[in-house]
Amino acid sequence: MSVQAGSSSRAQTVSETLSSVIGLLEHDQNLKKAIKESIEPIDDLSRGAITELNKLHSAPFSQHAEICQNAINIIGKTQSLWTDVAKLIPESEFYRYQFALGPTMRALTTSIVLARFILHDDLTPSHTISTVLGLQSESTSVLQLSAEDYLQGVIGAVNELPRLSVNAVTAQNFELPVKIASFVNDIFASYSLLNLRNDALRRKFDSLKYDLKRCEDVVYDLTLRGLTKPRE
Amino acid sequence: MADADVLVPTAAESSAIGGGGEISRKQHLMNTFESYRSEIDTDNERREKLIILSRSITQLSKKLIFHLHRNATSLIPTQKEKCLREGRMKEREIWTNFKKIRDELKSIGSTEEAREGYWRWNRQVSPGLEEYIEGLSFLYYLENQSLVPLQEVQKTLSDEDGEPLVIVTPEDYILGMSDLTGELMRFATNALSTGDHNTPLEVCDFVRTVKAHFDGIPPHMLYKLSKKQEETTRSLEKIEKVCYALRLRLIEFADKPEVLAMMAKRALEDVAEKEKEGPPRED
Repeated sequence: MSVQAGSSSRAQTVSETLSSVIGLLEHDQNLKKAIKESIEPIDDLSRGAITELNKLHSAPFSQHAEICQNAINIIGKTQSLWTDVAKLIPESEFYRYQFALGPTMRALTTSIVLARFILHDDLTPSHTISTVLGLQSESTSVLQLSAEDYLQGVIGAVNELPRLSVNAVTAQNFELPVKIASFVNDIFASYSLLNLRNDALRRKFDSLKYDLKRCEDVVYDLTLRGLTKPRE
Repeated sequence: MADADVLVPTAAESSAIGGGGEISRKQHLMNTFESYRSEIDTDNERREKLIILSRSITQLSKKLIFHLHRNATSLIPTQKEKCLREGRMKEREIWTNFKKIRDELKSIGSTEEAREGYWRWNRQVSPGLEEYIEGLSFLYYLENQSLVPLQEVQKTLSDEDGEPLVIVTPEDYILGMSDLTGELMRFATNALSTGDHNTPLEVCDFVRTVKAHFDGIPPHMLYKLSKKQEETTRSLEKIEKVCYALRLRLIEFADKPEVLAMMAKRALEDVAEKEKEGPPRED
């Protein structure tokens, strides 16, 4: 039958087309895998920084600066690793792989913002975080800290603060809760300026309200008992 | 909140640490976040535009597919040619929407930024792209009785200078081809009703080849495909049933074409009964 004669050569072409595409797919997927693997040592360091920062809850206030500096030093070690990640990502395809990099960048932002709040009583701007991570050099130009990741990472740091406030009181540090409440208040006011969609950032923003309330409740308890410094 | 305001560290304290001087931390943060607001607003607007374009591409692609189903089974060559010509026109209409997507991305800035933007907004664009690939591959199949190569899809989605409007990844392509098998199943059953006996056999062969290749792709590599493969398997079974009935009847009634046509129709009804959506109506 003519159908069979014609279709057998056609089937061969179809086979070749499909095989070559599947080859390309494998190549893409292998690259994704390599990028994910290249992030792992950074995640390890990021976890190391989180472990260090966890000490803030139990260590005496006098050690806070040292703890935060340690955490930032640990994070500083990711700089050369980011260069390795950057090498794998084809030019201008950062967002193609952001799904793999975003969570790590957010976690690091959280740790840096938290540490630098304790050290400097200020919100670390996005470009400073990029500098700490070494994302602003020539070799890492393909990488970037997106606004979305930064804004989510900051809220991650704020989520940590109500606990810190409560634990500061237990350790009879009555200044830190006041400092925290004021900071969270400023952050909340700033995020309130944004027009958010119903996305992950919006849900994170909703969590800020509760953090603010918890931080203010601690200050209220202190004020009630006359434990805060009166305003000069 | 008012409480906390009262308890803010004194101006002297915060400026000494912040190093800024006159403006308070709050004011400084508000300024920063105002620029975030405009950035987020711009992004949201762009996202909306791209989603609308992608949806309209999906709609037009579905129309293209239905148009092909309605007319491509015609055994009269001139009618079939007309149908395919119209199909190409519809395809070009969709193409202009891809051009609009490219222009929207170009409005971000340089070529470099536009390319980066493509990947950034890929999730908004890809549903339309997938549907388009399905439509285009169906059209190509009807024109050439073969599988459209990835390079051909990319070429079709390029502008007059050969510059890609959007980037077609192997993933987009494979998912589109997987959807094609469903359309071919409908096409094969429709062809049967017009007494076209070759098409079902050809399609059956084709879909088998596609399914066999895609079965070789491990699920972790392309999760979405493993779901679609189930659909492809069902489609293939339907086509094989049609071919089975067709073959038996071809042998039995080789010398009586009018009986053949009637039998074929009955086989089709049998299939249609089991199929939820049923073949597209002949309007």
